[in-house]
Amino acid sequence: MTSMYVAVAALAIINIVYKAAGPAILGDHEFSARTHAVLNALPVALLSGLIVVDLLGPKWSDADWTMVPGLLTVAIVRIRRAPDLVCILAGVAVTAGLRALT
Amino acid sequence: MTNRSSAAGTSWRAGFKVGAGLAAGAFALAVSFGAFAVTHGWPAGLTILMSLLVFSGSAQFALVTTLTGGGMLPAVASAALMNLRFVPMAAATASSLPGGPLRRAMEGQAVVDGSWVSAHRPDGTTDREKMLAATLVQWPAWVLGTALGALAVPSTDFIEAVGLDLIFPGFFLVLLIDSLTESVRLIPVALAAAAIASLSCRFLPTGVALLLASVAALSALRRPPEPSAGESTGGRP
Repeated sequence: MTSMYVAVAALAIINIVYKAAGPAILGDHEFSARTHAVLNALPVALLSGLIVVDLLGPKWSDADWTMVPGLLTVAIVRIRRAPDLVCILAGVAVTAGLRALT
Repeated sequence: MTNRSSAAGTSWRAGFKVGAGLAAGAFALAVSFGAFAVTHGWPAGLTILMSLLVFSGSAQFALVTTLTGGGMLPAVASAALMNLRFVPMAAATASSLPGGPLRRAMEGQAVVDGSWVSAHRPDGTTDREKMLAATLVQWPAWVLGTALGALAVPSTDFIEAVGLDLIFPGFFLVLLIDSLTESVRLIPVALAAAAIASLSCRFLPTGVALLLASVAALSALRRPPEPSAGESTGGRP
């Protein structure tokens, strides 16, 4: 329990420092193209990893196949440029439907 | 002066308008975050406090997911890495913010994905009023949504039966797809990160697995960046 409080406090402070550093100290500092390339790739790597980690869970204990068709639906509907909520609702409907059937 | 203040007034209104749209999405996501955290053993009060202080969906979700799998340091580190993008984003607003370092540091706190993107002008400057207004609308929506989800938390059986557990990965998949359609060259990074994460979370704590997945981003060093490389990926919290 204590670790949760410490983690939240640490993350809150880190977040404030991130957003304060640029405006207060760095000014209009130009980051190098290579730094930009990594900073742009970082959220993509983390989002991808986060989705997988959430799906599988610790030691793959949360693995549930009904999530996969639901997420595929989300991806397909998004590629066809549907709004956020439509994508999520379509995915939820597929996963819930599969769970009702099995 | 009159012209300037009326332009500022227009910016505030534009910011509130775009913020209202972003807030609706943030509210829905926050409700599911509140329920998600509480069903993962987080106290409701702390969950709401986290939304109040951190105000970042992807980092909060990363923290709850990875801390549940054990290991505080890797959990905080992966959530912190997730938000590292805020450093260059906030730095880019510096020249558009008034006052001394302290005031600019305070106003820089308004940098969140959706507000920053909508206030970012083609010439690289930031519409300060628009960014502040858009964030001012989203923040209470994020906190209130979290409170609703955390306090009126539905049972795990109900969440699974109606597929609500798909909201979080689904939302982040939407962000991922958006980033990848913007920068197709990042698809190998996403695939490599997914492979590393799936293999490593079989044997290691989830926070460590997520940290290892972030290493895939280093492969971006090997290719010259596209002209749009200064743009942020993702859209919302």
